[in-house]
Amino acid sequence: MVDVAASPSDAGVLPRDDAGPAGAKPRHALSRRNIFLYGTLIVVALYYLLPLYVMIVTSLKGMPEIRLGNIFSPPVEITFEPWVKAWATACTGLNCDGLSRGFWNSVRITVPSVLLSIAIASMNGYALANWRFKGADTFFIILIVGAFIPYQVMIYPIVIILREIGIYGTLTGLVIVHSIFGMPILTLLFRNYFTSMPEELFRAARVDGAGFWGIYLRIMLPMSLPIFVVAIILQVTGIWNDFLFGVVYTRPDTYPMTVQLNNIVNSVQGVKEYNVNMAATILTGLVPLIVYFISGKLFVRGIAAGAVKG
Amino acid sequence: MAAAIANPSVSIQDLSLNFGVMSVLKTLNLDVAEGEFIVLLGPSGCGKSTLLNCIAGLLDISEGRIFIKGKNVTWEEPKDRGIGMVFQSYALYPQMTVEKNLSFGLRVAGVAKDEIAKRIARAAEILQIEPLLQRKPSALSGGQRQRVAIGRALVRDVDVFLFDEPLSNLDAKLRAELRVEIKLLHRKLENTMIYVTHDQIEAMTLADRIAVMKGGVIQQLDAPQTIYNRPVNRFVAGFLGSPAMNFLKGELETGATPTFKGDGVSVPLDRYQFEGDGGRTAKSCVFGIRPEHIAFGEAAKAMPFTAESTVEIVDPMGSDTLVWTKLAGQIISFRVEADKTLRNGEAIRIGFDPARASLFDAQTDSRL
Repeated sequence: MVDVAASPSDAGVLPRDDAGPAGAKPRHALSRRNIFLYGTLIVVALYYLLPLYVMIVTSLKGMPEIRLGNIFSPPVEITFEPWVKAWATACTGLNCDGLSRGFWNSVRITVPSVLLSIAIASMNGYALANWRFKGADTFFIILIVGAFIPYQVMIYPIVIILREIGIYGTLTGLVIVHSIFGMPILTLLFRNYFTSMPEELFRAARVDGAGFWGIYLRIMLPMSLPIFVVAIILQVTGIWNDFLFGVVYTRPDTYPMTVQLNNIVNSVQGVKEYNVNMAATILTGLVPLIVYFISGKLFVRGIAAGAVKG
Repeated sequence: MAAAIANPSVSIQDLSLNFGVMSVLKTLNLDVAEGEFIVLLGPSGCGKSTLLNCIAGLLDISEGRIFIKGKNVTWEEPKDRGIGMVFQSYALYPQMTVEKNLSFGLRVAGVAKDEIAKRIARAAEILQIEPLLQRKPSALSGGQRQRVAIGRALVRDVDVFLFDEPLSNLDAKLRAELRVEIKLLHRKLENTMIYVTHDQIEAMTLADRIAVMKGGVIQQLDAPQTIYNRPVNRFVAGFLGSPAMNFLKGELETGATPTFKGDGVSVPLDRYQFEGDGGRTAKSCVFGIRPEHIAFGEAAKAMPFTAESTVEIVDPMGSDTLVWTKLAGQIISFRVEADKTLRNGEAIRIGFDPARASLFDAQTDSRL
């Protein structure tokens, strides 16, 4: 029975004497490869999750408990008061209605900006990919170069333009600014996606008599859900998280959530209410977080389908 | 070339297409008769698909005119030309069912609902795709997809069908089946059809006339048999036929009877039909003979020209066997029945009738 232990197969299962290795190669859970692989993954995951954990835990504690200094320990007495305060009563400047004002401002900025920028960029991309008008390449290059110009260079000129039009400090102005700045990258995204679609499909639609809009609305749009999801995610998170444009182009009444969060967290007067700050930060980050959770799979698929090619 | 056709269904006059400095189609003329099946045949990059796209109106041409049914459609949109087109990749709209695919063009044109239903029913019956109407294209096989693609052209009730390599994406067996179906369809509908392919078998079997193209120019436009037996130049001769025609380099000698002189071989050409006065002047030329026109063994003795040779390589192909040998110091191939067993190095006698050969000018490559 000694030689059975030396044999790679289980005793009795293989009746033949000459049985060498056969079938699937056995894998050991604690191989060096697995330890490295999962070890790295766990360390990286902890690295990202630990701050989130601290934030959630702290936001559920009262101030006396925070002052004890055990930032990793779970709350002894769970309280939702900091969340309520952050949402409804925290003071920024003259207003004391919490983040709720900023939240609704951000919604009023993000929704139209996302819709407008994606609507225009998808048409741009479609026209550039399928209707090769004269100078299309030049136009495209100019648009792409636009993606590399630092925002800071354009801030002041845009302030003047908005002031002259008379929409400086309004949400409309900020929506327009967001839409314009989203244009290069979104157009590139859509152009590449539409370019990757079979040319013959477009030709068939033309023979069938569909025009510019007919092909766009009835053939191309229904086929491009993945890339629209990618564009929506990019824009929602980008615009929601924007701070610079928000602080430059709006007034305190119309500040987006991010600017308001900054004002709450960085307020100098009084005691630092860490629990309220943590709750406010999580509240602000919640929208992009939810978007990622809902659309993660579609996002990956869309990136793979559109952005890599072309 | 061919005699002018009265009331052509499609007429292409002096058509040129340039992409920048590159000239893709060069002052091309083509008249297609009503109900004719024309095949545009050529290697990749010869401009055959480009020509089809020009006829369809999917490409703007640089010069010339295009008439369809006597109407100048040079500047018309594809939908107004009275054409239906079938693409190589089928180009079915993936998000629509077969029925919606078929009806898309009609819905765009605003055709009445009962009329749409009637036409779809007819097309589905002709193409036998009735059970597939509610399926999405992704749930169809390649052959079914191509049938739907043909149906899409069919429901539009057009004068001219354009096929752009419709069978190239199918496997060999299916290709042969659908080829027959397209032929039957043409007989049933009697529409004008213009069909682009690089497959010579499709061209030979389907066409009323074949236009062999190269470098944006139609080399020869004629009935398949004429093109096969009397190719106008060496390109056409070499492109059609599989295995390809044998070419022997040599000299044309004039005299009492014109003679082809190769390396130690002289073929009397008294039975060969020269084009015009091609046989009057001596010059270097290329002698072409198809593998199936070379006889072997006993049959060779009856031929006007015979020669001794040895077997170099034997290629059994199932239905017949291709034998490679040497004539005039150059490699040639010929066909024998599959049951003939030949060994490498075996001495053989071959022969052929020069009347079935083709003679080309070595300089211009055109037929003598």
